[in-house]
Formats: sequence, structure tokens, C-alpha cells
Amino acid sequence: MATYAEMQEIFDDIRSDFRYDHELNGCLNCGICTATCPSAQFYDYSPREIVQLLWTENVDQIYDAMQEKIWACAQCMTCAARCPFKNSPGGLVAIMREVAIKHGMDSARDVLRPFGRVMLKLITTGNQLSPDMIQPDHFPDWGPNIQKVEGDLKTLRKAIPVKTLQTTATAWEVSLKTSVEMYTIWEMTGVLDALELMDENLFDVIEDFIDEKREEYEDWLEEQEEDDDD
Amino acid sequence: MSDTVLVVGGGPAGLSAAAGISAAGFKAVLVEKEDRLGGAPILSGYAKLVPSGEWAKDAIGRMVEQVEGDANIQVHKSTKVTKLDGDAGNFTATLSNGDTVQVGSVVLATGFTHFDSINKPEWGFGTFPDVLTTTQMEQMVGSGKITCPSDGRVPERVAILLCVGSRDRQIGREWCSKICCTVSANLAMEIKELSPETEVFIYYMDIRTFGLYEDKFYWKSQEEFKVKYVKARIAEVTASDDGRLLVKGEDTLVKRPIVIPFDIVVHAIGMDPNEDNPEIAETFGVGLEKHGYIDKAETYTNTCGTTRKGIYSCGAAYGPETIDDSIAQGKAAGLRAVADLSRA
Ligand SMILES: Cc1cc2nc3c(=O)[nH]c(=O)nc-3n(C[C@H](O)[C@H](O)[C@H](O)COP(=O)(O)OP(=O)(O)OC[C@H]3O[C@@H](n4cnc5c(N)ncnc54)[C@H](O)[C@@H]3O)c2cc1C
Ligand code: SF4
Ligand code: SF4
Ligand code: SF4
Repeated sequence: MATYAEMQEIFDDIRSDFRYDHELNGCLNCGICTATCPSAQFYDYSPREIVQLLWTENVDQIYDAMQEKIWACAQCMTCAARCPFKNSPGGLVAIMREVAIKHGMDSARDVLRPFGRVMLKLITTGNQLSPDMIQPDHFPDWGPNIQKVEGDLKTLRKAIPVKTLQTTATAWEVSLKTSVEMYTIWEMTGVLDALELMDENLFDVIEDFIDEKREEYEDWLEEQEEDDDD
Repeated sequence: MSDTVLVVGGGPAGLSAAAGISAAGFKAVLVEKEDRLGGAPILSGYAKLVPSGEWAKDAIGRMVEQVEGDANIQVHKSTKVTKLDGDAGNFTATLSNGDTVQVGSVVLATGFTHFDSINKPEWGFGTFPDVLTTTQMEQMVGSGKITCPSDGRVPERVAILLCVGSRDRQIGREWCSKICCTVSANLAMEIKELSPETEVFIYYMDIRTFGLYEDKFYWKSQEEFKVKYVKARIAEVTASDDGRLLVKGEDTLVKRPIVIPFDIVVHAIGMDPNEDNPEIAETFGVGLEKHGYIDKAETYTNTCGTTRKGIYSCGAAYGPETIDDSIAQGKAAGLRAVADLSRA
């Protein structure tokens, strides 16, 4: 259990985020956000409650909500499109999640662990999901249509009339240049720092991979120049 | 020197102003763009008024009779003012019917425009025939029978949604329309009177039955008519397979999302600035405040003033207002206007 001072510090980090005042104007307590929220239909989660806790600076309950509740949000932003006060409960949850990571909270680590596989895929291929990762048992939320992916994946993919999509180990092809640009974006926006805090081993693997790709890209650039000189 | 005041708009505020000007011994020219006097309560066919309980056609009808029977008041219906020349004490107004009138001062009693529920599509108005506005429901009460427009059945359950077109930044309406809470409590009781077997639910964010309206409408509707108040603003209205309406919201006291079937859903629509206001501002040279209503001068010593000398205003032209207060302000604006005449 955190001390009051620690909980206060976490809240201060949330409210000093540059987006905070834009996402939170006050609250009419009307419940439109919760009524439209898909996650509230299925989980013990209410965007109105999150907004109220932040607005009334209830640091204790904010800390509590960060243990589990905030991870139920699907980040669909329906709430932001509907709130009559133009708040963005989903945007506030995004800030809270980033702060949870920054403080190395266990809840963040637990929730994010299964996504390591996705992260690795993303960094190594530029795709977060590839056709060969889709196994019917893992996607019950896709409904009965999921059965259609069982079959000869290679043949099915070949049937797509777009050449760059006829892949199975990636969803589409990503060029080396695009990958390297993405590494820069992740670095500069703090994604890799967050990863280091959450999963050091994965971070090391990914760092090595990025270094390798960057060298590859440098080599490729040099080759181009040599070609031009000829 | 003119002994006449130009009054624009023949609703409760304008009728009151014109009658007051005449009673003080001066003349009024009343210009109304519609073909009837009476303003929103008559034009939209309101049922029994808050707080008197009198039928609108009787109460406001009396005001219309008083004005139409007054030789000192010249009424132009289906007419607008197209041009205003001159200055305070000495204006010349050109009317759309070709007439010109010499007046010493002007009272703008041009009122409001009802919010058009089409602008809030997720609440089903225009999509489902059993989704109505308070003005339509008032007309249904006036007709003496409560039935679903879709198939004529008597509704088991009616939901009234408050704050439709008010208190909503998503659609640029950052005001409370002031009267719709009380009007809805009143309407709920009227529905119960005509159709005792119908259950009426009111979905609210806050209940603003201010002043003496608290016990007379809010309490009475619960104690005597068993109207149910649910603290929830509705997110969307859809329909189920059997044709009934489904209302989706969060019961913020119970803290869970809810979906409830209804037979009729009523939008308690708000009071927008008069859609003519940009034109009125241009013609009369007066300013509008940030929401689009007529800009009010400081009220303490320049009561009923606008941004222009010699031009006064009153009632819902200034922002959401009740009938009783519009009438009182109409009298006050009339007094300011005749004071200009006697000084000139
Ligand atoms: C559904 C509903 C129910 C209501 N019920 C009640 C109630 O029971 N009790 C209560 O106190 N209040 C009620 N109100 C509020 C009430 O309608 C207003 O308080 C009242 O109508 C204001 O009077 P007004 O004269 O200022 O404006 P209005 O009634 O809007 O009258 C303005 C007049 O000016 C005319 N006009 C507009 N523009 C021009 C122009 N450019 N040139 C010439 N003429 C023009 C209009 O045609 C109209 O006749 C209700 C409101 C709503 C929406
Ligand atoms: S962004 Fe999150 S809180 Fe907002 S509606 Fe979507 S799931 Fe609910
Ligand atoms: S929709 Fe907006 S105003 Fe309404 S409860 Fe949610 S955050 Fe508050
Ligand atoms: S009077 Fe009531 S219903 Fe009307 S806008 Fe204000 S709070 Fe909403």
C-alpha cells in the first residue's frame, strides 16, 4: 500500500500532464460517458467515476482505480465525442496509464505483460498482428466468423488482390526506412523508456534488434550513394 | 417630436410592452412577423401554463384581445422592420409592407427560437415517430388524448428527457433554458391527468424548479401523480424489435448503465436565440451577447437597455425566460421607452 504522499505525487503527475486541462473542464455528473462506454457494459468500470475522482482530487481512490479499473477502458473515445461538457474521460485514462507506467505500478506490469508478444512483433515487423497469429481460441470476441481463418492461410492470403497483403507472417510489408523512422518516433515519444520500466528483458532484446536494423539501414544508404557515384 | 414607440414582436413580452405604453398615454406600433399575435405559447399551441395552470389560449389570448382592442396600438401582422434610420428620440422605421413610421424609441421583444431536436440525432427525433418534443406533447395534451403517434396505442410508459438542446457544449449550447424542468413536471402531471394508467419518468441532470415552483410542481408531481425522477442524462434512444423505444443512460445514483423500454420519449427542448437575431442586430444596430441573444446593458441604472441608445429589449430576446418574467420585463421596457418620449 502506498503512503498518502506517494498517492499525492502520482496525482500531481497526472494533473501536471500538458493534456490534463484540455481533457477535464469540470463535470456535470450526467453519466452520458458511462452510458455510452462499451467497457462499462462488461466491467466494474465507469468513466464518470474516473472523472469525478480526478475532479474532486480524491487521491486515495484515484490510486485505487489505477490498480485495475483504468485498464478496462478500450480507448475508443466515444465518451469524448458525447460528453456535453467536452471532457475526454478516455484521454484522462490515457494519462493515468502513462503515469502508472512511470511509477512502475504492478497493475501496469500485469496488464501489459501479455502484450510483450505484440510489442516484439511490432518492432520486428512493423505490424502489431499478423495473419499467422490469429488462432480461433484466442479471439472469442470476433464471433463465429473467426472460423473462416481456419484453413490454408497461404492460399487464402493469395486470394487478396493486393500484392503487399499476400503475406502470412506479417499483415503487410513494411520497408526498412519506415521501420527506422518508427524507432525514432518511439524513442522520442518515450515509448521505449516506458518499455524499459515495464520489462527490462524485452527492452534489451528490442534495443539490440533496433541497433541491428539501423546499421542495416546505414549500409543500405551507403550502397545507394556508391551506386549513384558509378 | 414623436409620441410613438415601436414594439417588435407580439409575444407575451411585446404584448405587455404595447399595453403598458398605451396605458401610460402614448402610442405603440406593434410589428409581428407571423400572421397571429401571442408568441410562442400561441404559435406552438402550449397547453396549461406554468405557474397559473390557465390554458395558454385563454391567458395569452386575453393579452392579445387587450392589445387588438386598443385604439392607441397599431398592429402590423406578417410584417418585419426592414430599416431603421435616425437616432434616439427620432427614429424612422421602414416596414416590409411598405409603411414608414416615426417613433421616438424602440422595444425589441423578438423572443427565442425552439431548439430543433434534429440537431441531436442520437436521441431519435425524426427517426422514430414516438419521439416527440415538449411542444408536440403540449399539443397532444391540448387535444385531450395521450396516444402513440405510430399506432395510436395508449402508452404504458413515457420518458421525458430534460436539457435537450441546453447545457451541451457538443452542440454549442452552454446555457440552461430555465423553464423546461418546471414545464416538464407540469407536463408529466397533465399526462397523468389524461391517462392515469401511463407511467411517467423524468431523466434529469439537475432539477431546476426554482423559487415557488419547487413544491407546486416538483414535489406535487411525485406526491400526487407518482412521477418518477431518475438522475441520468440519456445517451441514446433506439428501438427494439417489437417497436418500443429503448432509452440508454447511466443511473448515476445506482452507478450502472441502464437500457429501459418506453412507448413515448419526449424531448424537453430548450430556448435557442431567435434565429433572426443576426438580421435584427444588423437592422437595429444592436449588439448580441456571446450565445447569440440580444446583449443586455448593465441592468442597475440602464434597465432593459441594449448596446444602442433609445432601443430597449425584454423577455426571451435576452436569453431563456419565463412568461411571467417576460411580461414584467415588457412593462419595464415600455416604461423606459415612454420616458424617452416625454423627455424629447
Ligand atoms: C415547450 C415550452 C413550454 C413553455 N411553457 C411555459 C410555461 O408554461 N410558463 C412559462 O412561464 N414559460 C413557458 N415557456 C417559456 C415561454 O415560451 C417564454 O417565456 C415566452 O414565450 C417568452 O415570451 P417573449 O414574448 O419574450 O418571446 P416569444 O414568445 O418568442 O415571442 C416573440 C415574438 O416575436 C416575433 N418575432 C420574432 N422575430 C421577429 C422579427 N424579426 N420581426 C417581427 N417579429 C418577430 C415572434 O414571431 C413572436 O411572436 C415555455 C417554453 C417552451 C419551449
Ligand atoms: S474511451 Fe474508454 S472510457 Fe471512453 S467510452 Fe471508450 S472505453 Fe469507455
Ligand atoms: S459525460 Fe462528461 S459531464 Fe457527463 S458525467 Fe461524463 S465526464 Fe461528466
Ligand atoms: S431548466 Fe432544467 S431541463 Fe431546462 S435546461 Fe435547465 S436544467 Fe435542463
